[in-house]
Amino acid sequence: MRARGEADELWAAVADPTRQRLLDALLAHHEATATELATELPVTRQAVAKHLAVLDRAGLVEARRLGREVRYTVRPERLDAVTRRLTRVAAHWDERLARIKRLAESTDPSQPS
Amino acid sequence: MVPDRIEREILIDAPPDRVWAVVTEPEHVGRWFGDSAEIDLRPGGEATLTWEEHGSVRARVERVEPPHLFSFRWARPVGAEPREGNSTLVEFRLTAEGESTRLHVVESGFQELDRSEEEKAEYAEENTQGWKLELEDLREYVSALVR
Repeated sequence: MRARGEADELWAAVADPTRQRLLDALLAHHEATATELATELPVTRQAVAKHLAVLDRAGLVEARRLGREVRYTVRPERLDAVTRRLTRVAAHWDERLARIKRLAESTDPSQPS
Repeated sequence: MVPDRIEREILIDAPPDRVWAVVTEPEHVGRWFGDSAEIDLRPGGEATLTWEEHGSVRARVERVEPPHLFSFRWARPVGAEPREGNSTLVEFRLTAEGESTRLHVVESGFQELDRSEEEKAEYAEENTQGWKLELEDLREYVSALVR
């Protein structure tokens, strides 16, 4: 059982939409550097590094130095069911909003195709 | 405070009336949320969201203030009647920005949902099964964003 303060820190770490995307991208790749992650997200490498530091402090990611680069992995045991659920919910909403946008922009809503 | 909500937003190149129609009319909802939808569009009205693969999820309309605010509560698991403790609240807000519309969505109430151990176990299982597929979806989605 984690202490309350620690749980709060964990929640705060995953509440941020960019960090949720970062975690998802990292889960998809298993392991990646800040530079690699920055190519997938609409943020700079510096911003990715900052977010990774927050995730690292919350114990959600693990950094491993490999020669000149630092590779990050998700610590799955820390990404508990609720966290995963929220991350998933957020990704779902992004998909749904993108579909709403496509429908609203491409068709006349009064004329379902 | 522990966050208990998901917030997302998107800027849509269409006026609020048009976005409102897509967000609230069953024939459109069935295209962005599930495979088909039935909605009694008034406060307290019943709604059903159907996924061919999973079944029908029941929802209850909470607020209908065209073209600015639409909210509903949807229940889990499939088939359950929405009530406190088994449902989350989804709230859409539409704001005009010039010729465009900012669509903001908040889903809240996950802490409530996770109250019972039985439910937690259920979600954990659901997550384990669903996670891999979700990641595939997400990967596609992210690459679409980058493109």
